[in-house]
Amino acid sequence: MIRNSLIAFGLVLFTVGGALAKKEPAVPSVLSKQKQLALVRVNVTGQSYDYFRPWQKKAPFSKRALGAVLSKGRVLVTADLVANQNYVELERAESGAKTAATVEVIDYEANLALLQPADKTFLDGITPLEIAPDTVAGDRLAAWQLEPTGALLATEGLVTTVQMMPYPIDVGEFLTYRISIPMQYRENSYTVPLVKKNKLAGLLLRYDSRSQLLDAIPAPVITHFLKDAESQNYRGFPSAGFSFFPTRDPALREFAGEKAKNAGGVYVTNVEPDTPAMKAGLQVGDIVTAVANNEIDQNGNYVDRLYGKIEFTNLLTAHAYAGDVVPFRIERNGKPMQLNVTLEHRDTKDYVSPPYNLDQPPRYYVLGGLIFQELSRQYLKEWGPNWQREAPQRLVYLDHFQSELFPDRNRRVVILSQVLPANSTIGYDELSYLTVTKVNGKEIKSLDDLAEAVKHPVEGFIKVETEEDPKQIELDAAQVAGEAQDLQDNYGISALHRLN
Amino acid sequence: MEPDYKAPWNAGGLERGVGAGFVIGGNRIMTNAHVVANSRYLTVERDGDPNKYPAKVQFVANDCDLAVITVPAPDFFKNMVPLQFGGIPALESTVSAYGYPIGGERMSVTTGIVSRVDFQLYTHSSVDQHLAIQISAQINPGNSGGPVMQDSKVVGVAFQGYSGDVAQGVAYMIPTPVIKRFLQDISNGHYDEYPDLAITYAKLQNPAQRRFLGLKDDDRGVLLSSVTGTGPADGILYPGDVLLAIDGHPIASDANVELDGERAQFEEVVERKFKGDSVKIDILRNKRPMTVEIKLFKPWPFSILGHSYDVRPRYVLYGGLLFQPLNLDMLEAYRTADLRVRHFFEYFVQDQLYLQHPDVIVLANILPDPINTYLAPYRGGIVDEVNGKKVRTLDELANAFAESPEQLVIRMIGDGPPLVLNRSQVEAARERIKTRYNVLKEQNLEEQPAPKETEQANKI
Repeated sequence: MIRNSLIAFGLVLFTVGGALAKKEPAVPSVLSKQKQLALVRVNVTGQSYDYFRPWQKKAPFSKRALGAVLSKGRVLVTADLVANQNYVELERAESGAKTAATVEVIDYEANLALLQPADKTFLDGITPLEIAPDTVAGDRLAAWQLEPTGALLATEGLVTTVQMMPYPIDVGEFLTYRISIPMQYRENSYTVPLVKKNKLAGLLLRYDSRSQLLDAIPAPVITHFLKDAESQNYRGFPSAGFSFFPTRDPALREFAGEKAKNAGGVYVTNVEPDTPAMKAGLQVGDIVTAVANNEIDQNGNYVDRLYGKIEFTNLLTAHAYAGDVVPFRIERNGKPMQLNVTLEHRDTKDYVSPPYNLDQPPRYYVLGGLIFQELSRQYLKEWGPNWQREAPQRLVYLDHFQSELFPDRNRRVVILSQVLPANSTIGYDELSYLTVTKVNGKEIKSLDDLAEAVKHPVEGFIKVETEEDPKQIELDAAQVAGEAQDLQDNYGISALHRLN
Repeated sequence: MEPDYKAPWNAGGLERGVGAGFVIGGNRIMTNAHVVANSRYLTVERDGDPNKYPAKVQFVANDCDLAVITVPAPDFFKNMVPLQFGGIPALESTVSAYGYPIGGERMSVTTGIVSRVDFQLYTHSSVDQHLAIQISAQINPGNSGGPVMQDSKVVGVAFQGYSGDVAQGVAYMIPTPVIKRFLQDISNGHYDEYPDLAITYAKLQNPAQRRFLGLKDDDRGVLLSSVTGTGPADGILYPGDVLLAIDGHPIASDANVELDGERAQFEEVVERKFKGDSVKIDILRNKRPMTVEIKLFKPWPFSILGHSYDVRPRYVLYGGLLFQPLNLDMLEAYRTADLRVRHFFEYFVQDQLYLQHPDVIVLANILPDPINTYLAPYRGGIVDEVNGKKVRTLDELANAFAESPEQLVIRMIGDGPPLVLNRSQVEAARERIKTRYNVLKEQNLEEQPAPKETEQANKI
């Protein structure tokens, strides 16, 4: 498949009474014997950063959810739940006892986080959940929710498919269970565990109440996360850094030098610089025929022991860790070769427009009423669920095609996001969403470049050049400095810049 | 007849429409361009006369939504007194609109007052802005092309309004300066369209910026932001120039000039000119005053941004792959949401994309056939090169397809895979595809005007 990141972000939404089960949910009989459910309530208060007023945070939100109690006093939740948290509290379902908790490890891309209670005895008496690693299509899983009384509400659903799908933070695809299930709304339905024979099979990723389809983070992804979390430094899920296309088209196969009619493999369409694939020598036009000794067919699927045919990217995420060396068998101009790809996790700082930025304040620079920020998808998401249509289209374009537009990668896109009316910005107050090319003649590839360049006015003027009209803006350097305090007081700006 | 951009080899769908018109001097009828655009057969009726008279379009100006038609029947204009034109009516003065709203046999009259005189987008082309007068008289489909009168003189031609759910009591008429300019333009037997400077500019209201540019504190001048390449100002004006006066009229820092005692945007000076005329602009370049003279013409890159009329869509069909140049009509026909295609449309002029891609050639559609069965993912791609050669226009694409190599490797913009075709297979599939999809012609490279049947109709 061509990399296709235009996907709709599923939100975890439940409609009241919209889901009526035709039959009673089948609760495994063993369950009733279990006294202490391996579930706790998780209460989170948090604040997101306000990207339109980057010096401040938005009003606090609170979320109530569930956590799955695992061994070693750990509680598993989704990263969604605890991202941008200020305070996390665990609550025993049956007694209502509470304790504060800390976020030990969080992986926004796989949407998982581990919590640890401040009071080490807090989870005493609970038998932790083991992981059920072997769920396949056709299995029945129970979604565990809690009634207000603390009683279990279990709903049974059918796993309809296991496949690679994008997660809410759209970096690559991960293994996902899709489950047909008539879920009911409960106030704490945020992180819902999916259970198979009293073992944890997955965590709710998103639910669509109209189609009654639930996507779940599957046990193999959870296991990968837990294993990685045990090491000193959490590394994150690896990626290889190339895009590919099926080789079903005989003309494309012939062009790539592939002679055998029924041989498999995918056509490499792009290899990003500085990625494991490029370091290993993978080239555009290569046909990847096997990964980690698994043959790949013309659609990009390998035959998995559990699932049957599934996209080979699963071999590079759930099955492999950053640092692993994975053998790639390729054909180049019809000649077979082997490449050894040392996988790495791609950090957000390695993007021109980072795909997410959570629990981190945004960087900004205020210059006499002009607000400069760095383009990121987190900023674009400020336009809401339909940001791809509603955010400024030029910025969406720059974000979407960043690897193609900025092949050197080693930069940011600085934007003049908005203008606060002030004496120094008279006549500029309608400007917004302009991409900055130069300041005082210096090329701008980050806010740090900008912060340095504004220190060197030319004949008393600060000159800002933009890609779009009006192309140039000048400020009086002395006036900007003189007005700074008034600007801060007037607009309640705590600090005029944040560069860390 | 509306051209069908999704099946461009077809003649298009038949539609029927009714508008109004009025008799002007020289046995001519004036109406809106959108009343007669794409017309194949035209008749006019006179109030109180049972006959329908075949008519003929003489001139059509899609950029200002005006047209002149004639009636060959010798006695049609008998006893008709041509209407005379007035000037710009005063604000709050009463005007009357005449026409046939929502069809009907009898003429309808509505009245209202003049609400505003300003530049407006003319939606017929969707790209041109001219002076327009907002009136509070009700105007509905069928009023189009009808005269708006004051003191027995035509002060405008009713042409556009809002549908009721957007705004009410807001209708627009084309004012007489635009009408008179049109009549003068066609007086040489040819409509030349509006010329344009093809520049963008910014107001100069910031004191620091004014000092930086070496300007006095006198509220004069606008800053030139960009000049459209191949446009009339290309190589004469440069970004960073300050425009101080146009044909001797001082330009204020908010881009207004004073014309005949009224303040108007300085582009109005150019609006009143014709192709081949010149305009003199006083500028400040690097703090030094200069005067430049610009010979005006209509810059081409804007044409893809507006609607086209009375032309056949251009396309090349090869191996079931339908390649079409990007333009507004094509974009609307496919309702494309593709981010790259939309970007190329949106920033075609501003980012000077026309320099590399005079035609933005989109693989707009695929007519399924065994030879292209795996090519669906390429749909929506923009052609960059064929067999290593850049393809800038649809003609170049057609030529590349006509050349001899067996293997055709088409690269699209971006980092997707190449699209590979084998000529012998395409050739073998040609007749099959043509027959299966009833394709009459595999390419059209010229926007030749659609043939008209009016001559023949006259004899009936």
